[in-house]
Amino acid sequence: MAVFENLSLQERMLKTYEAEEFLYREAALLDDRKLDEWLELLTDDIHYWMPIRRTTTAREVEKEFTEPGGMAFFDDDKKMLTMRVQRLAIGRAWAEDPPSRTRRNVSNVRILEIDGDETLIAANFQLYRTRLNSEEDCWIGRREDLLRRVEGELKLARRHLFLEQTVILSQNMSNLF
Amino acid sequence: MAESLIAAGNQPWFDVANGILDRRIYSDHKIYQQELERIFARAWNFMCHESQLPEPGSFFMNYIGEDQVVAVRDRDGAVQVLLNSCPHRGNTVCRAEQGKTNSFLCSYHGWNFDLNGRLVGMPGEETFYRDAIDKTRWGLASAAQVQSYKGFIFATMDPAAPPLEDYLGWVGRLGIDMLASQGDMVVLDGVVKNRLKCNWKLAVDNLYDWYHVKVSHGSALRIGMLTEESMAPDDQMVILGEYGHGIGGPGLSEAQFAEFQARMASGEGEAQWYDIQARRRLDPRIQEILGPVGTRSLGHPNIFPNLWIALTRQVCLRIPRGPFETELWWFTFLPKNANDEERRTTVFMANHLFGPAGLLEQDDGENWSHSTRGAQGAVTRRLPLNFAMGKGLDRVEEDPSGQHRIETVVNEHGQRWTYQSWQEWMQAESWEDLMANHSPAPKGEV
Repeated sequence: MAVFENLSLQERMLKTYEAEEFLYREAALLDDRKLDEWLELLTDDIHYWMPIRRTTTAREVEKEFTEPGGMAFFDDDKKMLTMRVQRLAIGRAWAEDPPSRTRRNVSNVRILEIDGDETLIAANFQLYRTRLNSEEDCWIGRREDLLRRVEGELKLARRHLFLEQTVILSQNMSNLF
Repeated sequence: MAESLIAAGNQPWFDVANGILDRRIYSDHKIYQQELERIFARAWNFMCHESQLPEPGSFFMNYIGEDQVVAVRDRDGAVQVLLNSCPHRGNTVCRAEQGKTNSFLCSYHGWNFDLNGRLVGMPGEETFYRDAIDKTRWGLASAAQVQSYKGFIFATMDPAAPPLEDYLGWVGRLGIDMLASQGDMVVLDGVVKNRLKCNWKLAVDNLYDWYHVKVSHGSALRIGMLTEESMAPDDQMVILGEYGHGIGGPGLSEAQFAEFQARMASGEGEAQWYDIQARRRLDPRIQEILGPVGTRSLGHPNIFPNLWIALTRQVCLRIPRGPFETELWWFTFLPKNANDEERRTTVFMANHLFGPAGLLEQDDGENWSHSTRGAQGAVTRRLPLNFAMGKGLDRVEEDPSGQHRIETVVNEHGQRWTYQSWQEWMQAESWEDLMANHSPAPKGEV
């Protein structure tokens, strides 16, 4: 496992740039509603997970997120994510018909770890959604993405999403993050 | 107490005889305030499950209408429900949604309350108050009554409310039994909470609504996760109980249940929409608890006013946040001795059907918010809403066991019963008035 900090500045820049390029392209596919193309960027064993967060006292703050395998907003494999995409295409997915308009900002991209073909990345995200004439939602959070090189192509092998909201202040999360 | 808006009107807000609803009940601020007084501050409200308060000091924050309360296990093991408001300046004394504590300390001036809500100390008791304050008079207010049924903890702010089991009646108890009879149930960590822009009653009446499924949730039924047969069967059973409780949804006739039993006994696999749900009902111990009619009901119970008991081993509270907003809180249950496979299946269904990202639920919110918004237009709100499906076309049949039910097709009996009962709660001046004047559960033609 390469210790990222020990690499030269040039190597760090190249690896970070490559990761950012992937993440921006991936975000653009979601913004542009090219969901089938987005699915192609996922590995077959992807884990897409957003735990539930709770307001706790400072003393118990280590318990603010639910544990893996437990209750979660998203806990999806590739099959489940494919179903979500199919659902939107099939008609009668009313929360997205008329379609929402979304814009994703991904920032503060930091490589945490490089292990062979895999790169673990931390990033901040902001997802703005508006629909119809006056609906607005905004989700901000932290992400841990695992990128894996498969036959020369970068793919997303894990996305763990940690929202800042506890009570979700939106009537649904019919979009992908 | 606000004057009775409904009694003052020329006609009731819900025309029971014809199933016609005045939609201003979704948008009128005065009606909303009256609901907080006459429904939420009066009813038995679900707080949490015993398993969420495992030891002294464990607490779970909840609401009774808009009143924030904290359910906490005291040092004697009893559950207290305390109003989260310091009697000094009104600040909250608990800010976390759940956790464990030794006491509740107000962050404003430091008044400190024990797990029973008693004021045990404050800064400057000698020097500033000069020992002239009677601490016994200035504890946190607590619920008038706290009782639990099969581990489900309820609280009422009204000392005149009947005991919980009487309030629930056989229908409310049956609704809880449908979940509680599945084992020694515990709530899994993680209550899913989100906020919708709808009136709370629209979320409640929807739980009886098996008419919307094929349309609202049409997309979820077509991707292979669920089938139309499993989610929207035509055969329905409705059980209506006093004070507005009810169970509505899929139901098996005696013949269907007998056929199901024979098919399962023969070792044939699952074939019908109801097989997965009904399988549990083959257990004689569960049949004993649910009774001959309850055993055949696979519908959705609602504990009036706002606790839906879902088939997914979940309950959902619909908490009002003003006339135009509602929070949905999903609690997920599992038998304590469940194996990994059972746990995995329960968590998977709960995570993927309901909640804001759930494949079923994500399409509900916008419908209800638009219904709510429409009720605010000066002209639109004058126009009545039609809740008449099946009105006058069905009969309540009584089983020799005393359990009564309507066996029919998709219908709006549950919705009508909810609004009829809501109206009676809103008209009643007190619990005494409500007990004397509420409608008994319907009999005969409905």
